[in-house]
Amino acid sequence: MAWRWIGRFAVPALVAAVFAAPLWFMVVGSLRPAGLPPPRTLEVLPAAPTLAAYRRLPELMPLFTYLANSALVVALAVPVTVLVASLTGFGLRLLTPPARRRMILGLLALLLVPVTAVWATRFELFRLAGAVDTYVPLLAPALLAVSPFLVLLYAWSFGGVPDSQLEAARLEGAGWLTVWRRLALPQVRPATLAVAVLAFTFHWSNFIDPLLYLHSGDRYTYPLGLRFLLLLNPTDWPLLMAGCVIATAPCVVVFLLAQRILLNDSPLSALRYGGPG
Amino acid sequence: MSRRPLTAWAFLAPYAVAVALLILVPALLNVGYAGTDHTGLTRDPRFVGLANVRRLLDDSFLVDSLQASLFHVALAVPVRLVAAVGLGLLLAAPRPGGRWFRTAVYLPTVIPDVALAVLFLWVLNPLYGPLNQLLGLVGHPGFTWLADPTTARVGVVLMLAFPIGEGFVVVLAARRMLNGRLYEAAALEGCGPVGQLRRLTLPLLAPVLVLLAVRDTILTLQVNFVPAYVLTDGRPANATLYLPVYIFDQVFEFSGFAYGSLITILLMLVTAAVITVQLVMVRRWRVLR
Repeated sequence: MAWRWIGRFAVPALVAAVFAAPLWFMVVGSLRPAGLPPPRTLEVLPAAPTLAAYRRLPELMPLFTYLANSALVVALAVPVTVLVASLTGFGLRLLTPPARRRMILGLLALLLVPVTAVWATRFELFRLAGAVDTYVPLLAPALLAVSPFLVLLYAWSFGGVPDSQLEAARLEGAGWLTVWRRLALPQVRPATLAVAVLAFTFHWSNFIDPLLYLHSGDRYTYPLGLRFLLLLNPTDWPLLMAGCVIATAPCVVVFLLAQRILLNDSPLSALRYGGPG
Repeated sequence: MSRRPLTAWAFLAPYAVAVALLILVPALLNVGYAGTDHTGLTRDPRFVGLANVRRLLDDSFLVDSLQASLFHVALAVPVRLVAAVGLGLLLAAPRPGGRWFRTAVYLPTVIPDVALAVLFLWVLNPLYGPLNQLLGLVGHPGFTWLADPTTARVGVVLMLAFPIGEGFVVVLAARRMLNGRLYEAAALEGCGPVGQLRRLTLPLLAPVLVLLAVRDTILTLQVNFVPAYVLTDGRPANATLYLPVYIFDQVFEFSGFAYGSLITILLMLVTAAVITVQLVMVRRWRVLR
């Protein structure tokens, strides 16, 4: 009985603690007073917790400009991602099974193309189009639905919409776009939430594209700002950790909305509406 | 419903256009640019034949870069795969609070790359970083981590052992699709948990595991850019000058656009070679039956 308990709860709790540890050290590190000498022993709880580092952040860099830029990019890119992923997923749903299988294999192959392979030449295309130092190139991943993974997620979820319903809606004279918007999308709301959340974490965290494409400081998104902060104050740990906490917090909050679906006991049925949740 | 295939293609069209313009065309352009002297600054590249290839064969930095990348893949892929699969199987079964254990495992995946890298600059700090202090608790003097070539590479792998959420979720979902009856039958036959894992779970999950391994190889070859760029910037002694970092340096810092294109092709060939080796091993060991 004791062994069973260890296997079911003690080991998972230990694993959970190991994976939560980086976040914990990030928060604890951000609460240290600035002048204090660094700790010489492991500090699990902050000695004299203070929010001073968070107050110093906006004094040292245009924090709110960066955050607003990031928010703007996310507000544009997340809807585009959801739109492309859901249109493509619905298209896959409408294909005949053999064609669908071939397309899914194609998507899996696409999953294997490294982004690095197109860095330079994609940059060249955007440079020739005069789009460098604008937010347009940051929308490129959104047009690709971020990752074929998100398309597959939608394709699976739309698979739960019965053929008979699609046919009935068509017989009543609904166009395919209407069927997609009014009949199919409402049945896969959990999938939409999951895709939106994963898209948010991707676009909010995106570092490489802003690094390549944004040159003027006042257009920097927050991840670039964080690196700027690192170059400016490479050893001011409370300050840097506070910067990390601000970068991470929105992603954690948003992810907690979706964990009910993505980390469900049976995630695949939770993606479809009315699945156990 | 004879119009359905056509309609389906109409829904797929925007994505197909994006794939063509943002992936296929740039990927092919690499081949074109690799034979020119393009710097990325001017508009009219000139064709120079195999000059870039000659430069490639005589580039000691590239040798360092290849070594760093291969070392990284050889260590990081198994570590990440074992972590994702092990934790996925460990936490797949329903139990009270099960979702919170899974959430804890997924959390490092949602930390933005840069923030994770900056955090690990702190974690790996030799004097007062939490990791060396943890080692101190068990009486180990600790390492200088990012200052030494070998431990710097290990440090990068250590950091990338945390964001494994994608593989973890895939394993959770795949494990859930396995037939529960098989397990009941196996238990009746007297097959214990280890036997079930070896004889049922792993063989049944083999296709998923192969896909994850291949995907992670590619991801590992490219996602090490941000940690290497922020943590070490290729140092010390080129130990973490992974191929993506070298390509970035050539294309965006040294105006060696054409040469960078050529290294990109090399990176794709290396990736293809590593994946081929993996698939050959899969066949040899009859992982997929």
